[in-house]
This record gives sequence, structure tokens and C-alpha cells, in this order.
Amino acid sequence: MAPKYKLTYFNLRARAETARLLFAAAGVEYEDFRVEFGGGPPSEQWKELKPKTPMGQLPLLEVDGVTLCQSMSIARFVARETGLDGKTSLEKAQADMIVDAVEETLNKIYATMFGTDESKAQAKKVLETAVPEFLKNMEKLAGPDGHFVGDSLTWADVRFFDLASEMMAKHADLLENFPNLTKVVDTVKANSGVAKWIAKRPETPF
Amino acid sequence: MPSYKLTYFNGRGTAEIVRLVFAAAGTEYEDVRLEHDQWPELKPSTPMGQLPILEMDGTMLCQSNSIARYVAKMAGLAGKTPLDQARVDMVMDGMVDMGNKFAYEIYYEKDEDKKAEKKKDYVEKYVPQFFSSLNKLASDGGYFAGDELTLADIAFYNMVTMVNPYLEQPLSLDGFPNLEKVVDNVTSNPGIAKWLKERPETPY
Repeated sequence: MAPKYKLTYFNLRARAETARLLFAAAGVEYEDFRVEFGGGPPSEQWKELKPKTPMGQLPLLEVDGVTLCQSMSIARFVARETGLDGKTSLEKAQADMIVDAVEETLNKIYATMFGTDESKAQAKKVLETAVPEFLKNMEKLAGPDGHFVGDSLTWADVRFFDLASEMMAKHADLLENFPNLTKVVDTVKANSGVAKWIAKRPETPF
Repeated sequence: MPSYKLTYFNGRGTAEIVRLVFAAAGTEYEDVRLEHDQWPELKPSTPMGQLPILEMDGTMLCQSNSIARYVAKMAGLAGKTPLDQARVDMVMDGMVDMGNKFAYEIYYEKDEDKKAEKKKDYVEKYVPQFFSSLNKLASDGGYFAGDELTLADIAFYNMVTMVNPYLEQPLSLDGFPNLEKVVDNVTSNPGIAKWLKERPETPY
């Protein structure tokens, strides 16, 4: 029987990896469909698929005949389906706000990678204060027990782990002075589903 | 019932989506508007050093869209089923993308010639294409999810009216009848209509 969920994205981690990590953490099966990533000009496969998508973008999640788009809406839906979105309405909102903060920082990081030379240089300057500020705030919000919300794993932890692990690949000491955040990252890494997935997922440039 | 206290500067900005949801829900709340010199004192006690924040039952929430989603959920305006809620979320995210694109590529562009060029691209290419996608996602009754007003409809109206003042002309909904209906449904919602008449006039 085909899995209930079909996740479609390029053959990259990037904006689909949080959803993949959530499926892995919860041990829920899904079809991990990967579209050829041109790297420069779009692949033929993507050119054909793009007009059929809700907003001309990936990732997509297909479930029960409905096609969802927008990476964090997909991740929130998957978190809800897998019981990882927080136990109360308030906890769900708290998880949402953590994820929003990660997204804000990620956008600032992307601003240093895409745009004109001037805008990228300006964005790099912004990042110099934005990242330490972000980590400082996140450290306060993360409890000492390795979770941002409540007392068990939520998608806020996984989302933060997703960003932090990508950043730590280039800056290993990123969380040196942030014990609570280190605990969050370690807790997610130690989840058996996540560990298995990371060990076997395809190697991709990002 | 909890008491809600929304704190922001004296402007629409990123708080307005929350105020619109409160208005549609008919939920009472304290609409605190800070002077800029009051902010430094409050800032360290906020979760992320930013506004808006929502205080209720001794908790502080931040991040405007998370706050909006929470308030909408409490009022049944976030979508009736999990899939509807995901549809609401994805439209809201799409509107954030549209706003971010404007901010990062146009608003912060210092070179006047480049700015004008990017504005032209935005208005003539990006927005019509994006509105075409959104028009397909909206029902012909003018709703993005289900058959009643949700946060998605409010988010569409809010972002379009947020960007419009910075353009030579308001963005056109010509050729996007479903989106025109969305705007109608939002502005004719009794709570929202009342708020739109009564809200303070502010430069942003």
C-alpha cells in the first residue's frame, strides 16, 4: 500500500529536511520524492512540474488528494500528524514562534547568499549581530532539559536542530557558549529515528 | 475568558493582522501602542526583543503570525479541519513571502534606479503570477479554506494593503475575481468593517 504522504522536493535537504526529520523522528512512512535539481538552470523535470504546483514552488506535500505547499506549513502539518506540534494550544503557539524565529534568521542568511554584491555585503553585516542575538534569545527560551516547549520533543526542537546542524557544519563551535541549545541539538540527534535517517539520507550539496 | 493584551508601536505594521483577527472574532483585547522611547525598557522582558507581543494568563507570545494563528484558532477562524488549517497556513506563508520579497528587494534597495526597476518587475511580473496562483487557491465564493472567513483571507487583505502605499498605484485584482471576492468578504465582515472605520490613522 502506498504511503499516505508524498513529499516532493529537489534532491536537497534545504527546505524539505525539517519535514523529513519529523517523519523520521516519529517513524512515519512517506514517499520521499526528489526532483532533479539543475543547480543552475531548472531541470526539465522541474519545468514540467512547476505549473502544476499551488505556488510554483517546492516542497509539496500530497495527502488525501490535497496538495500543500510552503515548507513550514507542511512541517507544521506533519508535526501535527505525528504528535510533535505541542500538547496544548499555548504550546503549539510557542512552538510556532520558535519556528518563526528560525525562519527569520534563515532568511537573513539567505540574504547574504542571493542578491547584488551590495545587498549581500549589507546582509553579511546584519548577520554579524543578528546571529548572536538570535542564539541569545533562543538560549533563554530553551529549557535546560533539551526542549523548547513542554517536556518532550516538538517540531521546534527539530527545526532548530535542522538550522543549527547546517550552520555547525561550517562553524563547529557555534553553540559553544549555549548549553541549553547544545542540549536541544543533542536530544534531537539522539532520537533513534533521526539518527537512522541522518546516517542513510542521500548526500546532497545542501 | 483570558484577558488579552497586544503590545506594538503606534502603527499597523506587523501587528495589524492580529488586530484584524481580533476584530473578526469580536474578541476584546487591550491594544497597547508604545511610544518609541518606551520600548528600550520593555525590550529585555520580551521573548525575542521584538514587537508585537501578546500577553495572556501570565504568558508572552511573540512573532506576529504565530500570535495571529493562536488568536484565530481560539476564535475558530484558523480552518475547521487539519487540512484546512494547513491550507490557511500555506496562504499566510505565501503572503509573508510576498511581503519579504518587497522588503528585501525593493524597500531596502538604496539605488533609486535599481529600486524603480525592481518595483516594475514586482508589479508587472511577480505579483500577477503570484495572484494567478492565489486566485486558483481561492474559491469563487472568495475563501481560501472551507466556505467561511479564515485567517488566510485576512492575511491576503492585510499584506496587499500593507504593500500598496509603497507603490505608484494599488495592486490590481483585475482578472482575479476570486481574490476580489476575498477582499470583499474581509472588508464586509462586520467586526472588521467596524475596526477599519474606527482604527487610529497612522503613517504605517
